[in-house]
Amino acid sequence: MAANIYIGEIIENEEIQEDCFLMKVKTAPSFQNPLPGQFVMIRIAGLNDPFLSRPISIYSFSRNENYCVIELLYRVVGSGTQIMAGLIEDSQVEINGPLGNGFDMLSVKENIVIIAGGIGIAPLSMLTENLRRTHPSSTMMVYKGFQSASAVVGLDKMQKLCRNISVCTDDGTLGEKGFVTQIFQRNMKQFPPERTSIYACGPGAMLKSLAKILNKSKFSAQVSLEERMACGVGACMGCAVAIKDKNGALAYRRVCADGPVFNLRDIIWE
Amino acid sequence: MNNPVMSASGTFGYGEEYAGYVDLNRLGAVVVKGLSLKPRLGNPPPRIMETASGMLNSIGLQNIGVDVFIEEKLPFLRKYDTAVIANIYGETYDEFKKVAKKLSLAKGVHALEVNISCPNVKKGGVCFGTDPKIAARVTSTVKDETGLPVIVKLTPNVTDIAAIAQAVEKAGADIISLINTLTGMSVDLKTRRPHLKNITGGLSGPAIKPVALRMVWQVIQKVSIPVIGIGGIMTAEDALEFFILGAKAVQIGTANFVNPHATLNVIEGIKNYLIENKINNINDIIGTFHF
Repeated sequence: MAANIYIGEIIENEEIQEDCFLMKVKTAPSFQNPLPGQFVMIRIAGLNDPFLSRPISIYSFSRNENYCVIELLYRVVGSGTQIMAGLIEDSQVEINGPLGNGFDMLSVKENIVIIAGGIGIAPLSMLTENLRRTHPSSTMMVYKGFQSASAVVGLDKMQKLCRNISVCTDDGTLGEKGFVTQIFQRNMKQFPPERTSIYACGPGAMLKSLAKILNKSKFSAQVSLEERMACGVGACMGCAVAIKDKNGALAYRRVCADGPVFNLRDIIWE
Repeated sequence: MNNPVMSASGTFGYGEEYAGYVDLNRLGAVVVKGLSLKPRLGNPPPRIMETASGMLNSIGLQNIGVDVFIEEKLPFLRKYDTAVIANIYGETYDEFKKVAKKLSLAKGVHALEVNISCPNVKKGGVCFGTDPKIAARVTSTVKDETGLPVIVKLTPNVTDIAAIAQAVEKAGADIISLINTLTGMSVDLKTRRPHLKNITGGLSGPAIKPVALRMVWQVIQKVSIPVIGIGGIMTAEDALEFFILGAKAVQIGTANFVNPHATLNVIEGIKNYLIENKINNINDIIGTFHF
C-alpha cells in the first residue's frame, strides 16, 4: 500500500516567523516513509470551506513504534493556509499521502548544491537531511535566499545539517544583499557541471531566473514546483505545468503525479 | 452493475489513480476521463480555482486519446469486476463516430457516455449540447456505430434542459446522465485578471447540487429512459435526494478530489440508510418524490 488517507492529530502548530508556521502532525505508523520532495494533501475533515485539500510538502518525518510525526512548514498565503494556521493542538486533520515523486536520489554527484528561496526550504531541508546520510562523502553547498531578515525560516535546522551555507536577502537585512540565484551565479564557476547535482525550490520567478542561468551551462538541476491542486493524485489534471516532452514538443504534466520534482531544463516558462 | 454508484468522468482518471484508495470492484461503474480520437494537450494553466463549496476547472479535455486508452489503460480496468463506461468526446460528428467505433470493438467497455456538454472547448461541447437538433444528431451518430448502451451526458448551460433530453431520447439514447459543470468565472483582486487562464471554467462541487436536482427532476418528468444523477454529491444523503427524484443511478465527481473514499462512503451510507429505514431495495425509494 502506498499513499492513503490518515487521520492526523496536531501536536504542535507554531508561528515560527511572521506568517510561517511549523505544524507537527501525529499519525498512524502505517504511514509510508516519505521521500524528500513528496507532499501531503491536508484538510479539516468534513469542512466544505475551504473546499479543497491543500498540498504541503513534507519538511521532516520521524517514526517510532506507535506513531509517525509529519512536520509541515508552511506560509499563510490564502484562506486554506489561514485556517490551517488557526488550528490548535489536538485538532484533527485528514492527511492524504505521501504523494508525488521525490527528488532523484540515485544519481547524486560528488558536489551537491542546494538553492532555496523562502519557504522553498521545506522540501530541501528534508532532502539535505537525507543526502547527509546517504552521500556523506559528497560536498554540500547551500544557497538560501529570503525577502528580508524578518522572513527567515528553517535556517537553524539547515545550519545543523550543513556547514557551507550562503544566506542572502532581497533587502540586505541579513547576509548578502541580492537574489539567491545571483549569489549562486557568481560562485557557479567553482562547481564542475558534470560532477555537480543541483536541487532547487522557491518562487516561480526564482526558478525561472535559475533556468536562464543554467540553460547556457552544462549543469542539470532538479526543481520542486508548486501549483494549485484539487486531487493531488493525478486524476483532475488541474495542476498542469508546461514542459518539453521527449521530442521537444509542448506537453502539460501534472505537478502532483508527474512531479512535483522536474528537470529544470524541461520546464517551459511563460 | 454491482450497485448504482459510479465515478464521474474527469474526476477519477482512468481508475488506476484511485485504485490504491478504493476497491474498484465495489463500484457500480468507473466512468473514465473523456476520450477523444487524438490525444489532446488541454488548456494552459492555471486550470482550477477553488470557489465557495466548489471549484472551477478548465482542463480542456486533456487526454491520452482513444487508442492509447485501449492499449494502456483498459487492460488494467479489465482486471476488475466493475462496469467500464467510456466517456467520449469529439469536435465533429465524424470524430464521435470513430471514437465510438474503436471503443465498441475493444474488449472490456460496457457502455459509452457521450459528452455533448463540456463547456471548455470553443469549437465543440457547448454547441453540440445546447441545440436539441445537434444533440440528437450526435446521439444517432454514436448509436449507429455501436451496440453498447449509449448514455448521453447533458450540459446544464441551457434554457430548457427537458427539450434537449427529449431530443436525445428520440434519437435513440439509452440513458441520460446530468448535469455536467455550470459555466462560471472568478476574478483575482490583486491582478484584476481571471483566476483561470481560459477565463471561464466549469463549476462543480456541492455548490451546484440544487441546480442538478432541479434539472434531474425536470428531465425525469419528460423522458422514459433511465436517468443518472450527477452534481455536487458528497454524501449518501446527497445521493438519496437524486434517487428519490427518480434517478436510477448516481455519479460521484468532485467529491473524489476532496475525499478519495467518497464513492465507497456513499455506497456504505446508502446501505445503512436502507437498513435503518427498513427498505429492502434501493429501487423501493427511486421515484418516490411527491409534493
